Amino acid sequence: MSEIQLPASGLAEDILPLYREKRREHHLVTFTLGEEYGVPIHQVQEIIRVSGVTKVPNSPSYMDGVINLRGRVLPVLNLRKRLRLAGKEPSKASRIIVTEVGDTVIGLLVDGVSHVVKMPPESVESPPEEVLEVDTDYITGVGKLKDRLVILLDLERLLKRDALEVGSLTGEGGSHGKED
Amino acid sequence: MEYSELLRDFLDDAETHLGLFDSALLSIEQNGFRKEVIMDMMGPLHTLKGNSGMMGFDSMKDYVHNIEEVLKGVAEEKVQIDRVMDALFDSVTAMREVLRSVAADPAGRPDLTAHILAIQECLRGEAGEGRRKDVDLFAYLGAKTDTIKVDFKRFDDLLNLVGELVINKTRLNQIGTRMRGTGGNKPLARELQEGLESMGKTIAELQEGIMRARMLPVLNVFGKYPRMVRDLSRTQGKEVELVFKGEETELDKTVIDELEEPLLHLIRNAVDHGMEDPKERVKRGKKRRGTITLSAGQESNYVIVGVSDDGRGIDMGRVKAAAVERGLLLPDETPDKETLKSLIFSAGLSTKDEATDLSGRGVGLDVVIRKIGKLGGQIAVDSTAGGGTVFTIKLPLSLAIIPALMVEAGEEVYAIPMSAVDESIKVKGEDIHMINNHEVVEFRDKVVPVVRLGDFFHIGCRRRETFYLIVLSRAEKKLAVAVDRLRGRQEIVIKPLDETFGKSYGVAGASILGDGRIVLIADVTAFWRETIDRTNGGPAGVGCPPVDRAFDCGEEGV
Repeated sequence: MSEIQLPASGLAEDILPLYREKRREHHLVTFTLGEEYGVPIHQVQEIIRVSGVTKVPNSPSYMDGVINLRGRVLPVLNLRKRLRLAGKEPSKASRIIVTEVGDTVIGLLVDGVSHVVKMPPESVESPPEEVLEVDTDYITGVGKLKDRLVILLDLERLLKRDALEVGSLTGEGGSHGKED
Repeated sequence: MEYSELLRDFLDDAETHLGLFDSALLSIEQNGFRKEVIMDMMGPLHTLKGNSGMMGFDSMKDYVHNIEEVLKGVAEEKVQIDRVMDALFDSVTAMREVLRSVAADPAGRPDLTAHILAIQECLRGEAGEGRRKDVDLFAYLGAKTDTIKVDFKRFDDLLNLVGELVINKTRLNQIGTRMRGTGGNKPLARELQEGLESMGKTIAELQEGIMRARMLPVLNVFGKYPRMVRDLSRTQGKEVELVFKGEETELDKTVIDELEEPLLHLIRNAVDHGMEDPKERVKRGKKRRGTITLSAGQESNYVIVGVSDDGRGIDMGRVKAAAVERGLLLPDETPDKETLKSLIFSAGLSTKDEATDLSGRGVGLDVVIRKIGKLGGQIAVDSTAGGGTVFTIKLPLSLAIIPALMVEAGEEVYAIPMSAVDESIKVKGEDIHMINNHEVVEFRDKVVPVVRLGDFFHIGCRRRETFYLIVLSRAEKKLAVAVDRLRGRQEIVIKPLDETFGKSYGVAGASILGDGRIVLIADVTAFWRETIDRTNGGPAGVGCPPVDRAFDCGEEGV
């Protein structure tokens, strides 16, 4: 839920329409991975160029490594690999979208960032049933924007699943964790 | 402020006050009663009473009030201190219990009526017409303090910022070097250089200052054990004195916190296994009362913490028998002293026939070695039969900024904490030998297992003709980590990795170099596990063929 700025009047009849509008409108950062995808703008901290990624051994294949974000060590997830799309070498257009989801700050490597868009609720449909598999519940809808289609991602769901998988790889309770 | 925050503060505070009360009681027991000690107790208790009332723990408040009454009675010579010592010790236990239950269930309001009645017993029949002395019981109220309480997280943040400063300074230095190299404006480059040097000094001082502010005397952790030793030795009918040496030595608070558990295990072991009962001690011509000494001292960038006792020492014969029983040794093996010593730290090894509720479950020492390893430290043990045991722990001063050896494998750079490193040597491919499909090297007449950093971290790199071995040691055992090149020693700022997405096996953290590049810090405990995994099933050092090739190794002064 996005936050609501209360109007000065504080009257219910003034708040309600605001609330309705806010709740329904999708404010997205869109990017490309072959198709166009979108994540809620309030989860995006910034967008940076790709440079100096340090690989971390023994981590899942879709984790590209860590980068130095102004003195902070930020993990970078390769979204192509994570969504099991065909691999593509990073190019000049590649970007890392720094997202904040819950307590986690994580970078998402994408082919390129396209737009910031506002999307009225009526142009978002739930994803067609045939694309929905058990582990794709992180796709929350498909938005139509003039001649384009935008796939809406729920990062919280996407990352929660990863947290489980990564947890079993880090040695804490994993195959290496026999001493613990 | 949230209630939960208030409660946390209250609990923190209460623990401190109880600690002071407790150590005052102990000092009475050990050094005899002096009236000033009553003052030392009244202050903390009074604050505790006030805080308890404010937090709504009324029963606790009443209880503390009654304890105060007893102490007042003692100060006014209406109550004899000897008669109430046990009750006072019990009161500490009872109050700690209350704090624990409140921590577990913040909504609970523990009822202390039974304890209150018990403590009131102390006053009964004692009152008499004791002459009232002019003792100013509330002298502590006017006392001022020069210290402030600061949330530790703020220091962490400050230190992080200094870390960034250091990184940025290195970057500017590199720009300066480039400016001089490209033959640009030389005088300007020199001025920049001078400015950077003076800034560097200030940053170093700032860093030093913040590191100092984070340090606490090691007494903060030592002080937690006298009560434990007293209670333990009483229940076992032993007489043990706990002595401190160098307790004013300062250590980073994070290290202090992490030290508590390993020391706890070592001290429990000393009381439970090390100490004989008084009769036996006298028979052996020792003092009735055994001594456990906790010592601390600084040596360059490290702090050495020792736990020694004058008990019976570790029976190496029993260690061997226990190791054979657990399949760590073959029955006909005759391991040397070093191997036996390192076996003491193996998981599940206990020489005590039955486990007590204190120790002897054979878990203690392997927990100790793992904790110390996590701190980037080392532990060694020395023991003489009948003469006692000495554990020596070597720890880095700080966990935030540590000296590290920078090494290369293939294209990757890793940092290895210096505190774990004994030395480094240059070797040739033929110096490495295979035993049971595992690589080893002969080093100072010992066969030492080799772990290749490149293989361990799956870095694709070709084998080199000459390379380097970093020799690590832990509890008398050695291990060599093979790397392609050494880059030298450097002070690094440890940055934590993301709990979920950055953590990885074998990596203890990351650090940022002057050029902005991230290097990973190797978790040396993972290397040890690797060699332990290898030797599981096959005891260490069995059937090693003689290695007769000599090293042509120039020692690299690390």
